[in-house]
Amino acid sequence: MAHVRDCEIITHREIAPDHRRMVLHAPEIAVEARAGQFCMLEVREGFCPFLRRPMSIERIFDDSVSILYKIVGQGTRLLAGLQTGSVLNVQGPLGNGFPIPAEEVRAILVGGGIGVAPLPGLAETLVARTGLAPEVVLAARTEAHLLCEQELSQMGCPVTLATDDGSAGFHGFADKCLRRLEPDADTVVYSCGPTVMMRAVHTVCVEAGARCYASLEAEMACGDGVCMGCVVETNTEHEFGKMARVCREGPVFDTRDIRWSAYDVR
Amino acid sequence: MTSVNLQVNVGGLLMKNPVTVASGTFGYGAEYADYFDVSQLGAVTVKSLSLEPRAGNPPPRIVETPAGMLNAIGLQNVGLDTYLKEKLPYLREQKCVIIANIYGNGPDEYAVLARRLEDAGGADAIEMNLSCPNVHDPQNACGGGLVAQHPDQVARYTEAVKQATRLPVFVKLSPNVTDIVAPARAAEEAGADAVALINTLIGMAIDPETQRPLLSNIVGGLSGPAIRPVAVKMVWDAARALRIPVLGMGGIACTEDAIQFLLAGARAVAVGCASFRRPDAAINIVRGMEAYCRKHKIDDINTLVGAVKV
Ligand SMILES: Cc1cc2nc3c(=O)[nH]c(=O)nc-3n(C[C@H](O)[C@H](O)[C@H](O)COP(=O)(O)OP(=O)(O)OC[C@H]3O[C@@H](n4cnc5c(N)ncnc54)[C@H](O)[C@@H]3O)c2cc1C
Ligand SMILES: Cc1cc2nc3c(=O)[nH]c(=O)nc-3n(C[C@H](O)[C@H](O)[C@H](O)COP(=O)(O)O)c2cc1C
Ligand code: FES
Repeated sequence: MAHVRDCEIITHREIAPDHRRMVLHAPEIAVEARAGQFCMLEVREGFCPFLRRPMSIERIFDDSVSILYKIVGQGTRLLAGLQTGSVLNVQGPLGNGFPIPAEEVRAILVGGGIGVAPLPGLAETLVARTGLAPEVVLAARTEAHLLCEQELSQMGCPVTLATDDGSAGFHGFADKCLRRLEPDADTVVYSCGPTVMMRAVHTVCVEAGARCYASLEAEMACGDGVCMGCVVETNTEHEFGKMARVCREGPVFDTRDIRWSAYDVR
Repeated sequence: MTSVNLQVNVGGLLMKNPVTVASGTFGYGAEYADYFDVSQLGAVTVKSLSLEPRAGNPPPRIVETPAGMLNAIGLQNVGLDTYLKEKLPYLREQKCVIIANIYGNGPDEYAVLARRLEDAGGADAIEMNLSCPNVHDPQNACGGGLVAQHPDQVARYTEAVKQATRLPVFVKLSPNVTDIVAPARAAEEAGADAVALINTLIGMAIDPETQRPLLSNIVGGLSGPAIRPVAVKMVWDAARALRIPVLGMGGIACTEDAIQFLLAGARAVAVGCASFRRPDAAINIVRGMEAYCRKHKIDDINTLVGAVKV
């Protein structure tokens, strides 16, 4: 069940250039939340901007949740201006979250740029439920934009770094880095990041026979399944046919269900 | 003053308060049940229903604009059969008053939709969507534009539906016209029990970087507080010209907005995309209306209808 609540900002810090982490006091949301779900944030009163902003839940604590965001436009700039101790209206938790295997299984998490946001919560859940820390590929443009390495290492995850410019770790894209980890039919891969990255990760997984899930983004108005604004084309039928709502049927999809070619015409 | 009467009669549809939601901004009711008891609304208006399920337009379908948004959903909906089987039971269980918004390809389909809804107990009133800017069906082409832009066609479609059902019939009109009175009067003369206005204003947004439209459909419908003054004016025009009631909508986000519509002549109002921002916007307006009446010593909300002092 989702809630709309005024939440106090407990901490709000810069973690990389233009990247912030915010911890929100949100007991009802924290109780219900699962890894991979998201919240809709009302970044300011009044009607400019008019819509809430979707943000993944990074980690779930007893009575709070954290979010990790990148400043890209008006909404996130306004968010960045909010002080610790002030109040933010939050709607959530929303969406389906990551499917968690019941048994111990090799899992690899692939995060690109700010797409790493939901992965710490996922790693924590995997550790708690399967007893096994997942491997992680953290990718970014440059070293300065690699996020959450410390948090993930502390959870026991073996982390492989990859940068587009070679400033840290593997020199190249996340999918090449994933290939080197040799996923196979018994591996489950989770990815979140730019669409091109998730698509490339999907291709690697198809070749390797690995299961693969991706957390998608889309323009959202309601975040809650009513407006039909956030759809993605899928290969199988969902409640509304082959146009599935990223906010309800997603944001996490089995990558084999996504009609990736539909992104070509965009 | 002990109690305030909020009940209104919209063309034969009794609503316990004058607040419903706008089609397409509230799903089929159950989606927002997490946030409040949806049966407390005067009525729930469901997403446009077509005979067959519709896939809608390709994404992107939404662009945020100043104090509003453009949408080009293209009427993606589950279709009549699935509505009756899977969506209706919840609304009936909750004892909601239901306004079923319908969209057909040609007047005959509208008539079939209305008749089947009545037969199945799927609606307490029918709202005919003659004004969606995001779909292009051959039967509705009417020599260009929307059905709601052609008063003679409005009459033809309305008559077809009136002959098919005894339920109250509301005709939902488009603001994309020179004079709203012409299609509104055509609906009235064809037997409509009320008119609903306004649907979205047709608009467009372009990304200056890519130099391409931001919507895959190129154009879309503008909604939200940005369009409210246009809507209030059109309600005022229509209400003065008609004897049948007006269901007013367009940019309503709070009680004061809704009161403006009543004063301009609306018998009831619908809250649209403001629910995206605050899912409980509509129910807060119900509460706010009662408080407004107490403050202004009004014992019957109906006395506000058309009472603007000009
Ligand atoms: C389910 C979901 C989870 C998300 N989680 C996070 C997260 O954890 N951290 C984070 O930093 N961002 C996340 N995003 C993206 C975030 O919502 C957008 O970056 C934000 O809405 C931009 O708002 P703005 O007003 O600052 O930018 P705008 O001025 O609205 O846009 C600036 C740029 O961002 C792009 N953009 C805007 N909205 C979106 C969107 N919904 N999805 C993708 N791109 C968008 C625009 O195309 C534009 O290029 C998520 C999006 C979704 C749908
Ligand atoms: C996302 C979205 C979907 C809509 N879908 C429909 C629809 O299916 N049928 C319809 O008659 N109107 C539809 N509308 C129009 C609204 O019902 C309403 O007339 C319009 O949005 C103006 O009200 P508002 O500014 O309060 O949103 C839709 C509007 C939006 C924003
Ligand atoms: S954002 Fe409205 S249905 Fe997904």
